[in-house]
Amino acid sequence: MAAEVGKPAMVVGIDDSEHSFYALQWTLRRFFSVADSTFKLVVVHSKPSPASVVGLAGPGAADVLPFVESDLKKIALLVIEKAKDVCSAFLVGDIQYELVEGDPRNALCEAVEKHQAEILVVGSHGYGVIKRVVLGSVSDHCAHHAQCTVMIVKKPKQKH
Amino acid sequence: MEESKEPVATECREKMTVVVAVDESEGSLYALSWALDNLFPAAVGGAPNKPQPLGRLVLVHAQQPLQHLIMHPVGPAAYATSSVIDSVKKAQDQNSRDVVERAKGICRRRLVEAEAVIVIGDPKETICQAAEQMQTDLLVVGSRGLSKIRRAILGSVSDYCAHHANCPVLIVKPPKGGH
Repeated sequence: MAAEVGKPAMVVGIDDSEHSFYALQWTLRRFFSVADSTFKLVVVHSKPSPASVVGLAGPGAADVLPFVESDLKKIALLVIEKAKDVCSAFLVGDIQYELVEGDPRNALCEAVEKHQAEILVVGSHGYGVIKRVVLGSVSDHCAHHAQCTVMIVKKPKQKH
Repeated sequence: MEESKEPVATECREKMTVVVAVDESEGSLYALSWALDNLFPAAVGGAPNKPQPLGRLVLVHAQQPLQHLIMHPVGPAAYATSSVIDSVKKAQDQNSRDVVERAKGICRRRLVEAEAVIVIGDPKETICQAAEQMQTDLLVVGSRGLSKIRRAILGSVSDYCAHHANCPVLIVKPPKGGH
């Protein structure tokens, strides 16, 4: 009965926030710290498009966009590099890194479709941690709309 | 051999306390089955060197408090007599026991040991409180409970837990093509 069935995919969505790297490490510790993990790991980072980041209108906007775009690209590559670093400390056999563009909410749901993921993992907050918001907009969106099981990993508050 | 950082795999996987919220809904029982299959893979078949049990599994069932039912009297009674209260409480207790037994049965069939806890109160809050008290590593909930509203993509309890539980939350969606 040992059929060569592919392992189900676990998609972990990351951005450059501490919360999402905490989520990545937590997931690696809990699910990928033994050699034969049940899942194959897909790490997805969505780079926002420059137009969505720059709120300008008017004649100056077009000039700024290329600079914003190259900055965003740099940040995105750093995020992927950092993720690779974090994962290298764990024995993850089957791991893919994906850099996509666009709103993370849609990008993550699409990644789930693409990989037919069994589970999507997100941190609880991303950019802009506003005190009163107890769950970030991306994690909230995924909790509602992702087709597969969603795991929201929360970073414990520092009590001391 | 390099002296770079040792892979973590040489240690045993840390034991997790996983709390699964169960009620009468199919969604929560599916969530339990999903959790058992993916978080507590059984050592069935050959493989003598499979890792030990992943951790502690606790089933939590929230029983609605009595006031919730007494406020909506059925029939001509203007107030609840003590015998009505008693029989309602008995029925509720029995219902809770049935839910827990069914959940335990699912665990047993997959050879997983589970503890069970019945808490009384509003499900959203009591489940989060119970999870906190038990030093939970992961709280597992179904996505939609007894609500028959098709348009509700996320039930109130799972939504509340996603926002307010202070531990990681796993929301299990029903299988595609399911109803």
